[in-house]
Amino acid sequence: MADERTRLKRFTPVHRLWHLGLILNFMILSVTGIAWMFFETPWGRGLANLFGGYSNTLQIHRIAGLVLLAGLALHLIYLLTRIDWKDFPRSLLGPETLVFQLVDVKGFIGHLGWVFGINKLPRFDRWSWWEKFDYWAVWWGLMIVGITGLMLYDPVLTSDYMPGWMLNVALWVHRIEAVLAMGHIFTIHFTVEHWRPSSFPFNAAMFDGTMDLEEAKHEHPEWVARLDKEGRLGEALATPPPVPLRILYFVFGYSIITLGVFLLVFAIANAALLTLF
Amino acid sequence: MSIGRMIFSLLWALLVVPPAIGQAADASGEMAGTGYFRDQDTVPGSLRFYSQLPGGEGKLWGMGPGKPKIRRSSFKQDAHEGVANFGPEVRCKKCHIPQTKDLHYLRMGITCIQCHRSQPVAGVYHYYSPLNPIRRHAYVCAKCHEGATPSFASYMVHEPNPIASATRNSFPLLYYAVWIMLILAVGVFLFFLPYTALWWIREFFAKLKGRSSHGR
Ligand code: HEC
Ligand code: HEC
Ligand code: HEC
Repeated sequence: MADERTRLKRFTPVHRLWHLGLILNFMILSVTGIAWMFFETPWGRGLANLFGGYSNTLQIHRIAGLVLLAGLALHLIYLLTRIDWKDFPRSLLGPETLVFQLVDVKGFIGHLGWVFGINKLPRFDRWSWWEKFDYWAVWWGLMIVGITGLMLYDPVLTSDYMPGWMLNVALWVHRIEAVLAMGHIFTIHFTVEHWRPSSFPFNAAMFDGTMDLEEAKHEHPEWVARLDKEGRLGEALATPPPVPLRILYFVFGYSIITLGVFLLVFAIANAALLTLF
Repeated sequence: MSIGRMIFSLLWALLVVPPAIGQAADASGEMAGTGYFRDQDTVPGSLRFYSQLPGGEGKLWGMGPGKPKIRRSSFKQDAHEGVANFGPEVRCKKCHIPQTKDLHYLRMGITCIQCHRSQPVAGVYHYYSPLNPIRRHAYVCAKCHEGATPSFASYMVHEPNPIASATRNSFPLLYYAVWIMLILAVGVFLFFLPYTALWWIREFFAKLKGRSSHGR
């Protein structure tokens, strides 16, 4: 039973490692960032005290931010090695890449139609439009939050290169983008990946690197069909992960989800105590 | 002049004077003083770019804070001269609510007097006020921010409400940047939250009806 190859390889170890690193980093940044943002409230101060006061909290936040930017830089290098340079501009297109293409517009409209019960579910290939959106959202978010974060890293040094009042702007932009990113992950991303009836309770694809073949036939039929046609389906199959690993993925995933929801709920509950302007 | 003295003078000129001339040439610049606490003072001729504020440079196309608001008391030595009900024992925040919303005061618990220095509190632009922009960086900010420069001190401690329409004139970049970010964020949520909810409901009912009617 256990060695039946019922799962389809979807993410490489590098993908999974980066996603794991992103999770850990994002959560450290979220907790310390929220602690600082809510520092005037008892809840925020309590969070900061877990790290030993606000200056430690800020220091951890700064270091985690640098690690995240380093991860982004490594990811960029990884991308450069993954691009097929011989066939360059054209190799960016096609079903295997995350670049937005015309099919994604069609996929989006089709999916919208399906949500409203107008048409059938579009036949997605390897990446659906929202998966591509999730990928690029990290890029755009990291650019905004990274640049402003670097500016706030050392305000005195930054003001050697630009007027000090740019820090007023940087802090606001940093704050809004961070709230956007956390709000998106803790509601939309969690729902789409884990709480949708077809993924509930937990979708371990990004942890295990594989997804159920039957599920793939429903969610990514075009992908399965293409693999089959190219005769690559056999080699793309894998056995399910051993039970201990599955338990580990679930426990880890739900710890993170719980932490995210905790931050979200308490942030909303304490929002009225914040003085923003 | 004796030979001995000539040789002595020559040696003196060769060995002692040139460095002295070099120093003198730089000293004039140093004496003028830049007022900065960073490398610019200690490394003459440093080519490092920095923003010099206040002074007009680095205004970024006029998008920064415009002319500060000048109040009756801004140039007074005692800002509270003639202010009814004022007394050293009255808490500042009783009268200055807009100035209690900055992160120095709210989050770090830094008191008004740590920046506004001593009683009587001087108007911000009084000639000898520690907060006068010509010395604010050194007299106030550098107490806690090592190496604070005038550019750094142009940070607005009591920042205006970024989304208020008055800020469009008083600090345009803050106003536009915050509005653009807000529209982006609100737009993402306005689109994705209902979308995700509908999607969830759709899948839920599709599941109820059985996989065949899932639309595949
Ligand atoms: C009784 C109310 C009251 C209290 C208490 C009070 N202020 Fe004021 N303050 C005023 C008024 C009124 C003005 C004048 C505003 C104007 O010029 O229009 C003023 C002016 C100022 C100014 C000058 C503003 C400028 O534009 O330069 C500063 C700085 C200031 N106060 C700081 C403080 C600090 C610090 C404290 C606490 C130690 C304090 N105030 C306590 C009422 C008060
Ligand atoms: C971190 C230093 C700092 C602290 C703390 C601080 N101020 Fe100020 N204050 C300034 C600076 C700098 C200005 C000049 C204008 C600016 O940058 O906003 C100023 C300006 C003012 C003004 C003039 C009006 C204005 O908004 O520009 C008032 C009034 C004032 N402060 C009151 C207070 C009161 C009351 C407190 C305590 C609740 C306080 N300040 C705490 C630095 C500080
Ligand atoms: C009494 C100490 C004190 C004084 C005086 C002071 N600050 Fe600060 N300031 C702090 C502390 C504490 C922090 C937050 C800790 C950190 O960022 O590491 C901070 C943070 C900041 C930040 C970073 C804000 C952010 O969003 O991260 C800026 C910019 C700043 N101060 C500007 C100023 C300016 C300009 C002045 C002079 C008008 C000033 N400060 C005076 C203590 C002070």
